Amino acid sequence: MTHSLHRTGTPESLREDYVVLVTPAVGINNQGSQDKLREILDFIFDLGPTNIGSYETGTIFSGATIEEIKAKLSETPRVRVCFSSKEKVKHLIQFIKERDYGLSVTVSGLIDEVQGMARELGIKPHSVNLSLGVHGKVEDLPSPEVLEFITMCGHGMISASLVKKLIEGVKEGRYTPEKAAEEMARPCVCGIFNTERAAKLLAKYVQK
Amino acid sequence: MHIDQEKCIGCGICVSYCPANAITVENRKARIDAGKCLECGTCGRTRVVRCPRGAITEEETVYQRPRSIRKYFSDPMAYHVETKVPGRGTEEVKTNDVTGRVRRGQVGIAIEMGRPVLGASFVDIEKVTMALAREGITTFERDNPLTHLMADPARGIFTEEAKQCRVVSAIIEFTIPVEMLERTVATLKEVAKEIDTVFSLDLICRLDENGSIPVMAQLESLGIKPRLNAKINLGLGKPLKEV
Ligand code: SF4
Ligand code: SF4
Repeated sequence: MTHSLHRTGTPESLREDYVVLVTPAVGINNQGSQDKLREILDFIFDLGPTNIGSYETGTIFSGATIEEIKAKLSETPRVRVCFSSKEKVKHLIQFIKERDYGLSVTVSGLIDEVQGMARELGIKPHSVNLSLGVHGKVEDLPSPEVLEFITMCGHGMISASLVKKLIEGVKEGRYTPEKAAEEMARPCVCGIFNTERAAKLLAKYVQK
Repeated sequence: MHIDQEKCIGCGICVSYCPANAITVENRKARIDAGKCLECGTCGRTRVVRCPRGAITEEETVYQRPRSIRKYFSDPMAYHVETKVPGRGTEEVKTNDVTGRVRRGQVGIAIEMGRPVLGASFVDIEKVTMALAREGITTFERDNPLTHLMADPARGIFTEEAKQCRVVSAIIEFTIPVEMLERTVATLKEVAKEIDTVFSLDLICRLDENGSIPVMAQLESLGIKPRLNAKINLGLGKPLKEV
């Protein structure tokens, strides 16, 4: 399951887009991991994530609270969180490293940026999942502008028609870019849709 | 998913949220085309689609075969009955530092059928698994729910029940020795011409001691340029598997 891998867009825009996943391995170290994840979630909330959610609750943009996310952690609990700031990601990784939780952590972002961050923190990354692009009937895909939003929810829950409608709404002045980005974020249940990046992308549609 | 015709006032709020374009409003009533609906659950989530009349509900049959196949492969909030893992696939690179699923000298391949946005039928998914099986790739990831729907993994064939289904996405996952990469990519490029949808292609590998990506040169010679963004396992898991 690779839902944070295929985000499209320019390197400049992807430089402000990170997804962090903390995942216990089922049957190996998931026993007793819930309390560790609750501590990590508290730290994340103090840090101020761009988006966060869970399969159990949905996201902060659809009304989930940190208490709800913490209370509903499953037997195979996971943290999925999205940041727009590399510095915040660095703080989070440093915290997890220092506490030595022993849970797997992956960061999705520009390869050079993530590797640079790992070097600064004295961490030796283990493995990588590379995106080798989209194949097949690519002519049926929506435009690259629409895909930049859609691919921020790797599960495909954000429809092309919603994105187009919200872009129109921004053009017509019915939505601010921020409001449209929050609206777009709601169908993404695990919280990796980056609203700050989306608002920046939407800002270009504001009529001058 | 079902819309109660008595309650619906035809406001159209729900229509644009459906990623499968399955909802239409006619004569001031919204309807769902069951053939198009992939059972992703989005329209029924009251925190997402604010239907003023609470008219959209899930039918019980959605948890019964064959409809349940759509549900488990399309709704990230539904747990797979077979694997107990939420979502569509496995932990892949997410826990590779602990599971050692993909070792040095190997690559993990994931073919995310239907992603982005288009969705996929098991008829198309089978075209890919059959092509792989002809190349000798018959061991698909055990913990992936898709593998549980195969009638004949040796030939990459799915059950008739599965073949009636369309889903938001399903992920074909397997591990191969790095020497097989070239042939596998060529097979995938060929079969990509035959399918009525898209797939996103992933390659998982261990990083070298110095952090470099060992398969980069090989990919370049295959004419593939990986995207500049990727998903990196930081190696903080324990016990760390250095295999
Ligand atoms: S369940 Fe998903 S695919 Fe089906 S009608 Fe609702 S939003 Fe569309
Ligand atoms: S949001 Fe509810 S009331 Fe409005 S069209 Fe859809 S089902 Fe009908």
